[in-house]
Amino acid sequence: MNRVRRLKLALWTLVGLAASVAAARFLFGLGASTNLTDANPWGVWVGFDVMGGVALAAGGFIVTATVYIFKLERFHAIVRPAVLTAFLGYLAVAIGLLFDLGLPWNIWHMIVYWNPRSPLFEVGWCVMLYLTVLALEFFPVPAEEFPRLAKIRATLVKARLPLVIVGIGLSSLHQSSLGSLFLIMPYRLHPLWYSPILPVMFLISAIGLGLSMVIFESHLTAYLYHRKPETDLLASFANACRWVLTIYVIVRIADLIIRRQAAQLFVADWRPGLFWFEVMVMALIPIALFSASRVRHSRAGQWTAATFAVCGIVLNRIDVGGVAHPRPDGAFYLPSWTEIAISVGVVSAAVLAFLFMIEHFKVWEERPADPNADPLKLPEFDPVGATWLGVPGIAARTTYSLAFILAAAVGFGFLKVEPAESRGIDATPVQRARGGEVLWIDGNLDGFGVAFKHVEHEKREGGKESCVKCHHMNLPRDEGSACARCHRDMYLPVDAFRHDWHASPSGARVACYQCHATGQVRTAESAVRCDKCHKNLVPTGASITVKHNQAVAYTEAMHRLCIGCHVKKAQEKSKPEMTRCDWCHKDRREVIDSRELVLRRAGLTGQNVVLPTPEARK
Amino acid sequence: MKAAILTDTTKCNNCHECVVACKKQNQLPVDLPRRWDLDDGLSAKNWTSVVEGPQHAFARKQCRHCLEPACASACPVGALHQTKLGAVVYEGSKCMGCRYCMMACPYGIPRYEWQAAVPYVRKCIFCYDRIAAGRQPACTEACPTKATIFGDRDQLLAEAHDRIAKDPGKYVNKVWGEFDAGGTSVLYISNVDLSFLSAGHVVGPKPLPATTATAMEAVPFAFTGVMACMAGLSWIIERRMRIEKDTSGKDESHE
Repeated sequence: MNRVRRLKLALWTLVGLAASVAAARFLFGLGASTNLTDANPWGVWVGFDVMGGVALAAGGFIVTATVYIFKLERFHAIVRPAVLTAFLGYLAVAIGLLFDLGLPWNIWHMIVYWNPRSPLFEVGWCVMLYLTVLALEFFPVPAEEFPRLAKIRATLVKARLPLVIVGIGLSSLHQSSLGSLFLIMPYRLHPLWYSPILPVMFLISAIGLGLSMVIFESHLTAYLYHRKPETDLLASFANACRWVLTIYVIVRIADLIIRRQAAQLFVADWRPGLFWFEVMVMALIPIALFSASRVRHSRAGQWTAATFAVCGIVLNRIDVGGVAHPRPDGAFYLPSWTEIAISVGVVSAAVLAFLFMIEHFKVWEERPADPNADPLKLPEFDPVGATWLGVPGIAARTTYSLAFILAAAVGFGFLKVEPAESRGIDATPVQRARGGEVLWIDGNLDGFGVAFKHVEHEKREGGKESCVKCHHMNLPRDEGSACARCHRDMYLPVDAFRHDWHASPSGARVACYQCHATGQVRTAESAVRCDKCHKNLVPTGASITVKHNQAVAYTEAMHRLCIGCHVKKAQEKSKPEMTRCDWCHKDRREVIDSRELVLRRAGLTGQNVVLPTPEARK
Repeated sequence: MKAAILTDTTKCNNCHECVVACKKQNQLPVDLPRRWDLDDGLSAKNWTSVVEGPQHAFARKQCRHCLEPACASACPVGALHQTKLGAVVYEGSKCMGCRYCMMACPYGIPRYEWQAAVPYVRKCIFCYDRIAAGRQPACTEACPTKATIFGDRDQLLAEAHDRIAKDPGKYVNKVWGEFDAGGTSVLYISNVDLSFLSAGHVVGPKPLPATTATAMEAVPFAFTGVMACMAGLSWIIERRMRIEKDTSGKDESHE
């Protein structure tokens, strides 16, 4: 197998994998197929596919400007591949965007419903228009093969200069507007990345990326098809790239200093580290490499430096797009494998389309020989499947299809998706109670342990079906309900009885069994009466009955005294407002300010409820 | 009139009546915990929540309905817009799901229906049909302690300052929302700092749409400027090359 076939096989595999994820994305939604959250609504599909993709395709306007505006005719040989890359790059951006949009079938709304204040509106329009311009710029190349299209082709060739000028205008607009997108997020984007001149920095780095992408791509295709790369021609691009990146670094650092954020560079955090890594890879290393004349004119040197710049600037876009966004809870976004599979798959499809175009149309001066078109080669026989694979061209396609289908199948196998509208208990792990019938758990979620009879509770609540009664998990990170959720009286707002205080080692230090006899269900009903310890708790003649062995709280008692009459009188006098809280609680602050309330309550001993005095407790 | 809500966190006792009323009013289904939830209680099915801050201060979290909403300025298709009363409302039929509004909101309010194959953005819409009909939103109507009240923005601002002036020891001397992000329709007064409602950062007085406005206003000029520049350059370079060619041709003919 030659280099091209190996690469195509790998690409088809990746596209197959992406196809399976794509199915999951559109059937089950974004939640099932991405790691995006309400805190990080944008992820790698925006950072890489859209922002990285647009920046990667910047080579188109750089090269057309060089050749058609600055009339540097010696660069003519690389115009066609550069325009093709740009066209396919923007197509990939548009397709990648379809995955990211929640409602991709509404993408045309941008044409109908306008909001010119939105930078995204402008980016969208520019990408649409520029895609059209690129299609028109590139159309003459495939049209060469079809004599019928000669007339249209001639018109387009005549209109080339205006097209190029419009293309440059659109490119410089939206390359910078991708930076403007983030101007509205001063609180979201980290200060090392947020800057009022973000659009300018995006434009400069896009030019740098365009230049290095032309170098990278020329070397890649030269390697694949065993051609001689235009190393001398590319050396001038490398030189330009060096200066552009130098300007970029100066602007970026100067901006930090002017904004007085330079101190952020030395904060002990992972973000300054990321910043340094990014600047290093995208600018400092390529500048250093390109500065050496020998490296600049060597094939390996050009390729290495360009790869650094390309990776670094794409990393910058990904960082701005989602990674460098501090989250309130400190966690940060990492893409899921499905997101990466889609991103890689879209790029792979674009590369396959590129290879198809250069093999079938005159993108280069001479079309590369079809690697499969070896006239002397016999049809292949597959010893494993005992089948004839046909002539080499067909055999290659069979292999690609097989790779695609297998990858898609493997992808489906690894997909873990839930139906779109499931019951949705997905975040909290459910573990079966292990280790016998009594569990030592933090039952009241207060940091104190309690011996919990799990089996007994399960039986009493209705067997296996009863799990959801406690493990209902309707609160974030709620693995099991606190005991007090069912045993409501434990935390009733009572003045006289505080369960916590009684059980606490710093309080009354009463062990469970001292009130709740062992072997019984431990509820208020089965507990011993308060007056076992607290003698004369309820004096004779008190009108409040102590229910369930528990003193009724003052507020409870008072409410019960008043509310019954209020309800009755409200009906009699047809004054429903009489039942409202503020009928009595005229001054709200009395009710709300608990300190005042406590003081007032303390002064009420001896009227209806006898509150245990500290002496009585002892 | 500019509709507004004033929430006094010192009066809130965390009873969640507002949350229940909001759910009933907007017919929101039962919420289940999801991987993508933040732990502030808001979700696509829960448009308001009560968040506990320091010193047991309870603050109701909801859309602030900014006077200059960042979300509406960000939306490329104008699915979010501000009504005359000040409510920032959402038209799902226009939305294309880019989620730029969620990125742009300084308070992180809009939530997404991540679980749905056809997802929409969800947030508090200020019960705009109720306030347009002269009624008050469901949440303020339900509040038993009048911790959150509805009214005209100017009057509520005066009320807020009045309350702070009457009890300066109790309140922090700031009305949240008076100037934040260019002013918001939802105002807060509190005994503690309320930046926990906006993910810990203090939202400055600058309206967020203004940050992109400068860049967006430059767009037509930049576009025509770049194109004119390129056309001019092309013309000049071509002319020079032609002259060079002509003169060099003449020189040759002379010799």
